[in-house]
Amino acid sequence: MDFKAFGRNPAMFLAMFLCTAPALAGPVSVTDDDGHEVRLEQPAERIVSLAPHITEVLFAVGAGDKLVGATQHSDFPPEAEMLPRVGGYSRIDMERVVQLDPDLVVAWRSGNSQSQIEHLRELGFHVYVSEPRSFDGVAASMRRMAQLAGTETQGDEAVRSFEEAIDTLRQDYAERDPVRLFYQVWEQPLMTVNDDHLISEAIRLCGGVNVFGHLDRLVPRMDREAVIEADPEVIIGGGMGEDRPDWVLAWTQWEDMTAVQRDNLFFIPPSLLQRHTPRIAEGTRLMCEELERARLRRAD
Amino acid sequence: MAPSSPTAPAHSRPHEAPGLGARSVHQKPGPDTLLATRDLVIDIPGRAPGAPLELTVDPGQCWGILGPNGAGKSTLLQTLAGLRTARAGTIEVRGQAITRLPRAELARRIGLVFQTHHDGFPATVLETALIGRHPYLRPWDIETSEDYARARAALAEMDLSDLEHRMVDTLSGGERQRLAIATVLTQDPSLLLLDEPTSQLDLHHQVAVLNRVQGIVAQAHRAAVLVLHDVNLAARYCDHLLLLFPDGQACWGPTATMLVPSALERLYNQRLSVGEVDGLPVFLPRNE
Amino acid sequence: MTRAFLLAAAVLLPASLLAVLIALAFGSVAIAPGDLLAVMLGEGSRLHDTLVLELRLPRALAAFAAGGLLGLAGALMQVLLRNPLADPYVLGLSGGASVGALLAMLAGLSMFSVSLAAFAGALLSTVIVFGLAHGTGSWTPTRLLLTGVVVAAGWGAMISFLLAVSPTAELPGMLYWLMGDVSHARNPYPAWILLVLVVFLALPLGRTLNVLARGPMQAAALGVAVRPVEWSIYVAAALITATAVMQVGAVGFVGLIVPHMLRLVFGNDQRVILPASALGGGILLTLADTLARTMIAPEQLPVGVITAMLGVPVFLFLLYRSR
Repeated sequence: MDFKAFGRNPAMFLAMFLCTAPALAGPVSVTDDDGHEVRLEQPAERIVSLAPHITEVLFAVGAGDKLVGATQHSDFPPEAEMLPRVGGYSRIDMERVVQLDPDLVVAWRSGNSQSQIEHLRELGFHVYVSEPRSFDGVAASMRRMAQLAGTETQGDEAVRSFEEAIDTLRQDYAERDPVRLFYQVWEQPLMTVNDDHLISEAIRLCGGVNVFGHLDRLVPRMDREAVIEADPEVIIGGGMGEDRPDWVLAWTQWEDMTAVQRDNLFFIPPSLLQRHTPRIAEGTRLMCEELERARLRRAD
Repeated sequence: MAPSSPTAPAHSRPHEAPGLGARSVHQKPGPDTLLATRDLVIDIPGRAPGAPLELTVDPGQCWGILGPNGAGKSTLLQTLAGLRTARAGTIEVRGQAITRLPRAELARRIGLVFQTHHDGFPATVLETALIGRHPYLRPWDIETSEDYARARAALAEMDLSDLEHRMVDTLSGGERQRLAIATVLTQDPSLLLLDEPTSQLDLHHQVAVLNRVQGIVAQAHRAAVLVLHDVNLAARYCDHLLLLFPDGQACWGPTATMLVPSALERLYNQRLSVGEVDGLPVFLPRNE
Repeated sequence: MTRAFLLAAAVLLPASLLAVLIALAFGSVAIAPGDLLAVMLGEGSRLHDTLVLELRLPRALAAFAAGGLLGLAGALMQVLLRNPLADPYVLGLSGGASVGALLAMLAGLSMFSVSLAAFAGALLSTVIVFGLAHGTGSWTPTRLLLTGVVVAAGWGAMISFLLAVSPTAELPGMLYWLMGDVSHARNPYPAWILLVLVVFLALPLGRTLNVLARGPMQAAALGVAVRPVEWSIYVAAALITATAVMQVGAVGFVGLIVPHMLRLVFGNDQRVILPASALGGGILLTLADTLARTMIAPEQLPVGVITAMLGVPVFLFLLYRSR
């Protein structure tokens, strides 16, 4: 055990002893998405999260009270806003991380700087690298983070309800009439996603077909003409915030497009669809409902 | 002019200077000869090769190179200093081929003052004179007080002592030219090559510079080669002249034999009036 | 010369020490001066030891070495081109390095390979610029500078192209690299060895460079073997730029403003300016990186932003004052 950590704060030691008995369980070991084995002598008590979606997952699996630091824009759940910040995800403020003295750092492979992750390991920190790419990946991520934090009970519950929600949506919608849709990530430049993206998994689950799913790049930059030519039945906009951006409605200037004629211009908050967290079940539900609405409008 | 003319140039080849019809009397380089060229043809890009030059510069001589613009005077001077490769022929410095002498060694023997000066970065007058000591210093050496003394002495000779700490780019054209000469005086080579040293100087400084050159040449083992535009100054200060004609021909010899009015008229493509002042010939352009 | 040398040493050596001390003392975590002293005496707490010795010290040393190399490279190139506006950034070396680095990032290579690719890119750019400028014989400074500027513009277009086709997730890392960033420089010692080596090789060459600054013909007339000297400067400048860029990315303006400012104070003797530029560049980049780490902490700025914010006005001012 790391007695130095307790030595600094005897009250914390007492609180831990009384409240979180499972923390005194034996060593835990999981393999992260980089193939590294992360082995802790006992479940983590001081966790630093290096990406907003990781913060969210940790809260979802009941490890929120063990978080001692997180990167900028960790905004969900609202309690996450109170956490001490350790810089933006693309450049971590190493000094803040060291100062927080975490016993576990959860990193994001495609967002954090590889050399900073290595540097943290060299400094002796336990680093779990997370890179979920699918619904299954999200579930696996949740399970492993719960293991590392010693919150399996809450974690298993969260995973079970996530998987249940996804399964229900799949049973209800996956086999419905296909709806051809264009998912717009951003307006300037005009960007969409291909079939490898998490969003496309949600689209398929709802019985949708991504009109640009066949493209090579994960987040292709598009020409407006290509979208007009593809003439999707539905256009769904993402953006940055929680409100529908103006550019979703800007498609109405192309009156001949099917999506415009049937008024199938929708918005789903990107925080529900673009983050690899259990909230994607909620985003997927919204998408399934919008696609169902589009199916109903076919009769008109 | 008749071949037998007593004033015909002494060291020139008839077929190269037909108008002058001079005899070909080539002076052989002796053991003291500072610089000798053999069949030297300078390289001016895009021009047909000129006449081969067989020059011999011995200690105590002061040579003047005369010629119109573009005749290759500066190119010749730079070739003699080993800064340009010749199209043909060889140059020997005290009996050694110039191409085989290390650059620093050569810089101790031959110094060249250019017509134009590039001062890439700001520097003081004293610093500029001091670079004349470069050929004498090894890489790690720092200029000694003796080096400074030489530089200051050279500046004093060129009336520049008061400007020692001025930045070079604030000097007038004439001051800059005197500084270049002070630099070569600091360099103290056996053979001085000066490219139009008087072109930007007032009368007093023209005479002062040429007197100084004469004084140097009078020392043991020293000589000078000057490119000049002023025939009268050349007549007064040079004991040998080299005429470079625009068509690439050349003739050379002791000054007395070279100051033939018809040759000079052909050289500059300009009619001349000749007079005599203080026992020396004076040439003035004739306006017709 | 001796006086200027001693003056420069008396000012710049303590200033260098001070710059490194400042870099050690400031960061996003506050450390009291007493605690800093304790760390230096080997009595610091574990946290302070890690912060100062494992995070701040290697980073400060890396910044100093890279800044020193960039300052030195700038000073060398300015002599080579006899133009005070020359620097590795203007001449396209940094652009070549950037394209190399971005290609390596796009291929998903490790940070070490990215550094090597940057090194290769800088050297390739040098060969292109100097090879083309050399052309059929005349290697005039104006031609060299013009070639460099045009090649730099070409690299700029390549960089934009690479940014446009790169996956969104790679963009932040790429942008930080392009703006210069010390955070991934972890082993400062090779850069230090090169810095010390080049300074000691350049010192005896200093007087020769003084003469070379008067133009190649004048230098040759004073006994300088112009071609070999010019080629050594060019190879040395390319090597040290590539090493610096490998460490800290495309940091601009250090090589431009440092020799300039030092010339205003210490005159133009290369024997003073070359070592002084090494120290001055080191001081500037060390301080700029300290600002980058602390200005909007805990968020981190790329150090190139700071040097450019200092460099652009100074560059324009000098350009305005020069005829």
